[in-house]
Amino acid sequence: MTALYVLDVPENTAVAKVAAEAGAAVGKVGPYFEITADGPIVVDRRATGCRHAVWYSCVAGVAGGRIVQHDKDALRVDPA
Amino acid sequence: MTLEHKVRGVDHTAFPTFDPAATVRFYRDVLGFPVVHSICAAGWGPENHPDFIHFFFDIGNDDRIAFFYYFGLEPVHAHERGDVYAGFGPEVPEFFVRSRHLAIHVDDQDDLLEYRRRLDDSAWPVEMQIQHETIESIYTHDPNGYMVEFTRAMRPVTPQEDLDANLTIDALLDVVAEPEPSFGKLLARKAELIVERAADWEVGASEATGNARAQV
Repeated sequence: MTALYVLDVPENTAVAKVAAEAGAAVGKVGPYFEITADGPIVVDRRATGCRHAVWYSCVAGVAGGRIVQHDKDALRVDPA
Repeated sequence: MTLEHKVRGVDHTAFPTFDPAATVRFYRDVLGFPVVHSICAAGWGPENHPDFIHFFFDIGNDDRIAFFYYFGLEPVHAHERGDVYAGFGPEVPEFFVRSRHLAIHVDDQDDLLEYRRRLDDSAWPVEMQIQHETIESIYTHDPNGYMVEFTRAMRPVTPQEDLDANLTIDALLDVVAEPEPSFGKLLARKAELIVERAADWEVGASEATGNARAQV
């Protein structure tokens, strides 16, 4: 399973929301969103509305996979 | 074992200058930072130390920025990139040259824009205004080439950000202790630390010991 951790602060809530809308499961581990999926996790940047500084620093941790795309269009984590 | 946190901010940070006239114009006359201290010192000691003036400007909160002007000292390098203290050749990447800076805190956007106005009316206009993750900043270079930032918080820092900072640093230390550290390895290690330590975290029980912000 692929897991993406994002700290729950106001700037980041849209990242978890957009990931959930794209089909990922979103839970919590302490103050972190735990975004999980059996396959890839994909987050569309424009849908999040995040400005660049927020977008490029929103990832707190990745388990069971690796980031294969993190650019102006999307964040994608593929299973290991 | 927690070490008591007893320090009280920046007493002063000090830089050399070869142009005290422009330095005083910039800090005192453009920015309005009062001159609060100065030392006129005759050179002495074993190293042929020149006579010098050490002068201080108040940067708020009773903190100070200070300069050394050494009589008779010529510039120590001829590089065009960098500042009067350190010059860099073309082999050094620009992001590295631009990394070292002093950031001065202001309370809110009105104050940030006030300093922007003062700089824009001077010979040292603002070069960038950027909203970072949680702060908004303006930047310029002072007459000596030192990068100066003014910054304001866009919101208060939350306690969970202190937890996150501590997990980041612990992950970083683990990753740099191994060969070929990378961002991907750090995020993998940090995910492990989140699973180990974040679930039981509660506001007020922060690991950022001695940090009053984390105690609320």
